[in-house]
Amino acid sequence: MVALLKPKYREEPSFEDTLARHPGFPRLVALKIDVQRRGVHYTERAEKAVDPTIHQLRSPYIFGSRDGAIKPLPESLLLRDGGTILVDPTPLAQDPYVVDFIDGRFVLLDDGRAVEEVELWPKPAYYDKTTRSGIKMSLLVTARPQRLNVFQSSYCQFWVDDKGCRFCDIVTHTKQQRDEIGVPSRLRPEDISETIAEALKEPGRFTNICLTSGSVVKGDEVFDQEVDFYIELLQAIGENFRTKKFPSQLIGSAYNEKQLARLHEQTGLSSYTSDLEVFTEEKFNWVCPGKAKWVGYTGWRDRLIRAVDIFGRGNVGTCIVAGAELAKPHGFRSEGEAIAANLEEAEYLAERGVTTVYIVWVPRPGSDFRDQSNASLDYYIRLAKGFQDIRARHGLRVDFDDYRRCGNHPDSDLARLQA
Amino acid sequence: MTIAIPPGVAALLADPATVKILATVDAEGFPHAVEKRSLHLAADGTLHYLELLESSVTNRNLVRSVWFDEKVAVALKGADGSTVQIKGRPIRTHISGPLFQHHYRRLLTEAPDQDLAAVWVIEPVEVIDQSLTARKAREDAEHPTFIHLDRLAVTEGNPS
Repeated sequence: MVALLKPKYREEPSFEDTLARHPGFPRLVALKIDVQRRGVHYTERAEKAVDPTIHQLRSPYIFGSRDGAIKPLPESLLLRDGGTILVDPTPLAQDPYVVDFIDGRFVLLDDGRAVEEVELWPKPAYYDKTTRSGIKMSLLVTARPQRLNVFQSSYCQFWVDDKGCRFCDIVTHTKQQRDEIGVPSRLRPEDISETIAEALKEPGRFTNICLTSGSVVKGDEVFDQEVDFYIELLQAIGENFRTKKFPSQLIGSAYNEKQLARLHEQTGLSSYTSDLEVFTEEKFNWVCPGKAKWVGYTGWRDRLIRAVDIFGRGNVGTCIVAGAELAKPHGFRSEGEAIAANLEEAEYLAERGVTTVYIVWVPRPGSDFRDQSNASLDYYIRLAKGFQDIRARHGLRVDFDDYRRCGNHPDSDLARLQA
Repeated sequence: MTIAIPPGVAALLADPATVKILATVDAEGFPHAVEKRSLHLAADGTLHYLELLESSVTNRNLVRSVWFDEKVAVALKGADGSTVQIKGRPIRTHISGPLFQHHYRRLLTEAPDQDLAAVWVIEPVEVIDQSLTARKAREDAEHPTFIHLDRLAVTEGNPS
C-alpha cells in the first residue's frame, strides 16, 4: 500500500545513502534540500499545535504552493542550525516529509521515522496591524525569519503572449490570491512605507528587504516602467532609514545600464539580482521564451555583468531554478551533463563578479511543467557544493542572498563557512 | 551525553568577575580561543553564548560544529582563582524568534552599539575541575609512577 501511495522517491537511493556519498556535506543542508524537493504534509496533531498568535501562517507569496491551495497552515520551517526551509504543503500522494507534533516539539518524519526537530517561523508583530488605508499589512509585506518581502506586482507581462517561464505559476497564483484572500494587484508606495515602518519597530526581527515582481516590458525602453515602479517603491521605503543605502535586494528583469544607474543613484538599493532561471542559451530559449524574446540569453547575461560596475562585485547575482533544465522533452538528458553546463556558466559569471545561486525547482500545478519531476538529491548536493566552491575560489561573497537574508538557496547556506 | 552543571560551576558562570574563554576549532584543526563574556547558564542547563559578529571565526567554527557534530571547550577562571573546563556540543543557534529577540532587546539597552548575530546553545557533556590541586590528586591516583625520583629519595629532611 505504501509503495502504491509513494511511487516516486522510494525508488531512489535513500537520504542516508546519498549523503554518505558526500561526506563533507552538512546533513542539515542536505535535509533542507530534500524537504524542499519533496514538500511537507502537516499532521492533524501538528496543525492543532500551531498557535496563530506566535506562529506565522502562510501569507501572500509570488508563487503558488504544490497543493494549489491557500490554507491557514504554517508558513515554513526553521532548522536548529538557524537555516530556513521554504517549503510548501504537499499532497500525501507525492510522498512529502511529514511534520508532526511529538512530546511538545515539531518533528520532521520520513516514512514514519523522526529525522529532525524543526521550529515554525515566528510571526512578526506587524502582521496584526492594518494600514491607514485599511489594508492588512500582512497582505502587503510578507516576512521570512529575518527578511521582509515586497512583491510589487505579481503580474508578469511575458504571459500576455503566452511566453511565461515554463516552471512559473506567477499569474495563475496572483489571480488565486486576489480572488481568495484579497491581495491587491498593485501596491501603493505609501502603504508599503507605512508597513515597513511598523515592521522596523520590532527590534532584531529583520536584516534585509527584498523586492520582486513579474516583468513589466512597457516604457520607452523595455522595462522602463518596471524600473519606475521600483524606484517609487524604494524611495518610499527609504524614508524609513537614516542612511542613504539600506540592506536590500531587488530581483528584477535584466535592466540596461541607464536603468541600473537610476536604481543605484536614486534609491537606497544595495544589491541587484536578475534571474537567468536556466543556463545555456538553448535551454533558456525553451524554458524562458519571454526573456528570450525581449532580451535574449547573452543580452541578459551581459546586463548582469555590466551591473557589477554599478552595484559592485559581490552585490550582483543570478539564480537558476535548478532541475528545470532537466525537464522533458528538451532539457538536458542527464544530470551529469546539466551539472557540467551549470558549473561552467557559474564559473564564467563569477570570473566577471556575478554570483550564482539556485533554488530547488518545485513543479507547481499552475505552471506548464506541472506534471514533471525535479532532480535527485545527489544532483542538488553536487550543485550546491559546485556553486559554493566557485564562489570561494573567486573570493565572491553572497551576503545579500545568504542563509539569513534569504534562506532559499542551499548553496549560499554553505557560504556560512567561507572566510 | 548531557550532564548537569554543578552549583559551584553555575555560580562561576554567573559571576561577572569570571573570565570565560570559548575554544573552537576550524576546518584545518586550528584552535581558536577567545574570551566571551556573554557565556551563561540557561534555565534548561545548557550554555548560551551571544555571537555579536556574523562573520567571526568563532561563529564560523560553531556552524561547522553544529553541522558536523564537533565539540567546543569553555574555560572558566574565577576571581578566587578556581578554574573549570566545560566540554560541550553546539546543538542549536537562534537567529530569530523569542530567545533571540529577548537577548537583542537586552543588548540594545546594555550595549547599544553592538548588534546580535546569533544565540548559540551549547549542551555540556563534561565538566572538569582544572585546579592544580584537583588535577594533581587525580594524577597521583591514576598514575602513581609519574614522579621524579629525587622527590622519593631519602634525604636529610625525609629519612626512610
